[in-house]
Amino acid sequence: MEQRATRADILAAIKEIPLLSPSASRLLQIASRDDYNIDEIIEVVKCDSALTARLLKTVNSVAYGLVHQVTSIERAVSYLGERLVAGIALEDSAKAVFNKKLEGYESPVGELWEHDLRTAVAAREIARHSNTDLSKDLAFTAGILHAIGKAVLSDFLHESAPDLLANIDSHDIRDYLEGERKILGMDHAEAGFELAKAWELPESLQMAIRHHHTPQQAPEQYRPLVYAVHLGCIIAMMSGSQSSDALQYHLDKDYSDYFNITNEHIAMILLEVNESVETIQAALTEGREQAE
Amino acid sequence: MGNIILGVGELGATNNPADCVKTFALGSCVAVILMCPKTRTVGMVHVALPESRINPEKVKTRPGYFADTGIPALLKKMSTFGCDPNGRGFIVKLAGGARIMDPNNTFNIGKRNALAVKKTLWKFSLGAVAEDLGETYSRTVTVSVASGETLITSPGRKDWKI
Repeated sequence: MEQRATRADILAAIKEIPLLSPSASRLLQIASRDDYNIDEIIEVVKCDSALTARLLKTVNSVAYGLVHQVTSIERAVSYLGERLVAGIALEDSAKAVFNKKLEGYESPVGELWEHDLRTAVAAREIARHSNTDLSKDLAFTAGILHAIGKAVLSDFLHESAPDLLANIDSHDIRDYLEGERKILGMDHAEAGFELAKAWELPESLQMAIRHHHTPQQAPEQYRPLVYAVHLGCIIAMMSGSQSSDALQYHLDKDYSDYFNITNEHIAMILLEVNESVETIQAALTEGREQAE
Repeated sequence: MGNIILGVGELGATNNPADCVKTFALGSCVAVILMCPKTRTVGMVHVALPESRINPEKVKTRPGYFADTGIPALLKKMSTFGCDPNGRGFIVKLAGGARIMDPNNTFNIGKRNALAVKKTLWKFSLGAVAEDLGETYSRTVTVSVASGETLITSPGRKDWKI
């Protein structure tokens, strides 16, 4: 495998990525705190008319099948849930990242967002089985963000997948992360971490992005969150992913220090992921079409 | 050429030679492909989980979700095309059931799906003539009704047939 770019090239590319909108950034800050109040979320949404319109269209979409139309932003936020509100603001604000066709991973448009949503729902469900006080909302938000580094690296990875997969199959490299590092000097977890720093995301989210494939390397206080995202990402890949790196990572068995999870739970979570993501995607698509 | 695209837990069948039956990105899910040579009908079900007892409610809306209910539901669907209701004389192919890299095989839903599918097939005295199961890659499966050819694609890998 030959080197295709350097760390400096990747860091330069990260600088070119637009910053998040003020409302998306604020919502992520609020939603990552343990003690936030839903009124704070509503205040931010009210100050952003485009986001308000998008949320109302989403909540009133056929996919949610509500009998009465929701016209107040308070009801829209409480129905969709704060975490999904932050996710929608994020997707709107960083379309260039989430809806990019990841050619370097041979992924179609929308695949990264779909994988992120699946990871978010799975991480939220995993958090329910935590033996710590891990917040379900935080796990969801971290799941949405965990793979942003792939949008950065994709442009540098063109047509590298066959070579990379052959090296994993022959055990010359351990996983896709090692392949990325060999070719680019940086893996997608670190690239995502650099982008998260540029976006000034809270430290908990930065750590979830940086260590989602290497949770044992995360600082102790963030490990429940990082392991939830680690497992969430794996469950998302099990549930289906059109990406060359799908399933090309290792499970860290020490998740069991933080979660009591059986095979039966995993089956239930897979079911929940498929159902939730189908509903959310249908509602978002409808909200998007009406907004256009 | 028409494509019948099946999502997770969906099943479908066709005898139109111009059609292909397709399902995208199987991870731990298993695609069960049934072909009836007599009526030249192809059916497929995208099985997500081994057993329906985990959520009997789901069976009512999407029986294809589970191995134990998905295969009987597909046979029933194919019988409306004039196929034998027990699948007598059918050709069976299986694909999917992948796993994450883990020496301890934790969470190997893919393997459990494959076993549950085979167990259900045995009840109808059916067995697969071709299979591509397990391993650590995602699979998209396309079956041509005209030729019966079953093509598997996976991002970053060369296509192959089973």
